[in-house]
Amino acid sequence: MNRTDDQANLDEERQLLDLLKDYPMPEATAGFYDQALVRAARISSRRQRNRWVMTGFGSAIAAGIVLAFVNGLFFNAPNVPQIDSDIPGVTMALAEPQTVNLVFSSAEALDAATLTVLLPDGVELAGFPGQREISWETNLAAGKNLLPLKLIALTPHGGEVLARLQHNDRDRTFRLRIEVG
Amino acid sequence: MPCRCNARLVRAMEKNLSSHVFDQLVRPHFDRLFRLAYHLTPSKPEAEDLFQELLIKAFGKLDELADIEEPGAWLSRVMYNLFVDQHRRFARQRMHIVAESQLPGDGLEGLPGGDDPVANNERRQRLTRLDAALQQLSEEQRIVVLLHDTEGYKIKEIQELTGTPAGTVKSRLHRARARLREILVADGTFS
Repeated sequence: MNRTDDQANLDEERQLLDLLKDYPMPEATAGFYDQALVRAARISSRRQRNRWVMTGFGSAIAAGIVLAFVNGLFFNAPNVPQIDSDIPGVTMALAEPQTVNLVFSSAEALDAATLTVLLPDGVELAGFPGQREISWETNLAAGKNLLPLKLIALTPHGGEVLARLQHNDRDRTFRLRIEVG
Repeated sequence: MPCRCNARLVRAMEKNLSSHVFDQLVRPHFDRLFRLAYHLTPSKPEAEDLFQELLIKAFGKLDELADIEEPGAWLSRVMYNLFVDQHRRFARQRMHIVAESQLPGDGLEGLPGGDDPVANNERRQRLTRLDAALQQLSEEQRIVVLLHDTEGYKIKEIQELTGTPAGTVKSRLHRARARLREILVADGTFS
């Protein structure tokens, strides 16, 4: 490596560091910090109360509830809003549409896969008022496939959204926890 | 027998006091935490969700938080762990939430400009190419280079935040810079 190469490398490194220092950041949505504090206090207290209630049931009964839920996951739409802090979740504002994007990663292209979205009571997909189950056929590319879901919470109860992908005999269900703050 | 309404009043006052104490402890760190959330996720809606989850978790640990000497560092670590937990869960399911902006960036939309439109346009193009180049790095490399070179974190801070040995952090940083330079030279950003 000669002096010119060294100089070129140094120059590129300097340009890169300048560019990285200039890398822009979006600001949080106006009022977001204050709302986040209020929601934190409310949701944290609610989760704590739920934890205390669950403790009172005893571990054997609690295990039975979990099994029943997993069993129901694949065969039924959820009739009762379920809150499970161990699955991914989003917090929505009441009556404000919010886009949640799901990514379906597939090792190979899938033709004629069926996507089904199951919604809890009080959560709707924009453009599908009153429908709790929406199903359609789609082709998936190999790699990541983005599914934007524009959701609206009509009640403060939240619950779980299930997105089920079926192709031939394969079936995968994704659970998304919705909390309304 | 004590009056029930007094008990309710005491509970309400305790709750208000908790919220106030929590606010005082965490608010000074908000901007830095939001920036961290954005660099981890990396999109504004996901950053806001992660930030919200952090506050919910931290509020439940208010007693612990109140005794901590450096709440900022503690909050950052909790946020990072939340991010990793969520990420692992999503990876295991091979389906995960992202925001629309796996495309270039939320930050570029509100980019403030100077008086020279040509210079503004050139700057925007260079940053857009940088954003695209960052998407081509591994997640570990992207996070390290953004925290170190954009946010000014020290190697030791990244080590403590991520629980990664300092040597590994340095090696990721070196590789990330080399890869970015390679991409940006190839696409003509660096002459």
